[in-house]
Amino acid sequence: MTLHEEQVREKLRLVYDPELGVNIVDLGLVYDIRVDDDHIYVRMTMTTPGCPMHDMLVGGVKRVLRDIAEKREIAVDVVWEPRWSPDNMSPAAKEQLGFID
Amino acid sequence: MSRLPFLFILSGMAGFVLFHAASLMSLTGWIGEELRGPSGWFHVHLFVLGWATMLAMGAVYQLINVILQSNIYSERLGYIHYAVFTVGLAGLLFGFIQGEVYWIAACATLAFTGVLLFAWNMAATLFRASQWNAITISAACAVLYLVLAGLSGMAMGLNFATGWWNELHQRLFGTHIWLGTVGWFGLIITGFSYKMLPMFYLAHHYPTAPQKVVTALWNAGVIVGAVSFLLDGSVWTKWSALLLITIAIVVYNVHLLQIRKHRHKRGPGSGIQWSMYGNHAFAAAAVAMLVYAMWHPQQMFLAESVTLAGWIYLAGWVSFMIICYLSKIVPFLWWTHKYGKHAGQPGTPLMSDLLSEKKVYAGLAAIAVFGLIPPLGLILDSPLAVAIGGTAHSVFSVAYMGLIGLIFSR
Repeated sequence: MTLHEEQVREKLRLVYDPELGVNIVDLGLVYDIRVDDDHIYVRMTMTTPGCPMHDMLVGGVKRVLRDIAEKREIAVDVVWEPRWSPDNMSPAAKEQLGFID
Repeated sequence: MSRLPFLFILSGMAGFVLFHAASLMSLTGWIGEELRGPSGWFHVHLFVLGWATMLAMGAVYQLINVILQSNIYSERLGYIHYAVFTVGLAGLLFGFIQGEVYWIAACATLAFTGVLLFAWNMAATLFRASQWNAITISAACAVLYLVLAGLSGMAMGLNFATGWWNELHQRLFGTHIWLGTVGWFGLIITGFSYKMLPMFYLAHHYPTAPQKVVTALWNAGVIVGAVSFLLDGSVWTKWSALLLITIAIVVYNVHLLQIRKHRHKRGPGSGIQWSMYGNHAFAAAAVAMLVYAMWHPQQMFLAESVTLAGWIYLAGWVSFMIICYLSKIVPFLWWTHKYGKHAGQPGTPLMSDLLSEKKVYAGLAAIAVFGLIPPLGLILDSPLAVAIGGTAHSVFSVAYMGLIGLIFSR
């Protein structure tokens, strides 16, 4: 089945930062998604280095993508550059958190 | 996920409830009794070791890999630390109640061994990571002061049993209290808050230089105070230590406001909000006590003054900060354990679903308000006010801890 980055992005909206209550896409944690016939690749970051949710969020990403991956291998790369900034958040996330500029 | 933080945090919560239950049995009357006797030793050590230190150790084990991005040096050593410290502490408290000197000696040695195992584990972890900043330096110094507090306590115990250094006993007492309360608790709380508070406020691009200033000043205050007590320094050397600590507290509060100013999330949560109120109130109290001590220096060391300062510092700041942060620590601990492997699945609760923000706010408000009455009662020499305020404070404290405990049923 053909799979597009947008489908992967939509699936990733199911993964929430459990402390902030915002999904990782709207939080702006997802930097890059690449899909081909054999792989799904997600490059993402966390809100802070050493984020205690690191393993849970990566596990959540892999879990939701298994539904659509078929035989594709899922790779998740957590990077620290560029550093996450609250400006990465979507307008919806900012509103939910009572974002202060 | 490691169960090590669970052991310490659950034990600390139990210690908190036991302390307040014991306090309720005397309607907080134990505060008015001679603190330097078995009853006082029991209550104070149950509080500082069975609750606050136990909880702080658990928080250290939970947060160390957030701070260092590396694991604790030895998880196995952590479990041995828990067993040795807890058994030793239980026996020590029993020994205080019974007034059994040899029981106290044996169990204090065991509890101190537990502290040394903790210190070894922390030292190995920190030196292996070799990331030195205000957070890690504060943590390292805090643990060192915990060891030194234990050592001076052991020396006092030895003197009780043998009388080998009677002339030093009073000096060791002051050193023991100062190192444990100001050194261990002060630096572990401030140090870890530099990491945690910005997380809960989603604060970025705030200045970090004040953290170094606070760390330096706080350490200076601990060292000046400890040396002054140990060498029987003048009242003004002790006041100088108070001055250093008070300046550190003020700079710390300025820094907290800087973090808040650089926040991107409006509300950090009720517990963290109350921690800010508590910090500011404590800073005001510290300045007031410093000024008072400048005009009445000899009053600093009266039993009534020490009791008052002890309540304000230990109950009003140390314990209050811990229970405020507990509103984040426990949901995180439980969510990770129970729901971590379900992240991404529909129906998985958020941490905010595990604990009512309104109830946290109300609980902490009640604890804060009723916690003000016993020190006022001490100042006004009103045992009735101490009893009423202390009783209400304990009742609401136990209720709040029950609220936190309910998280484990979610």
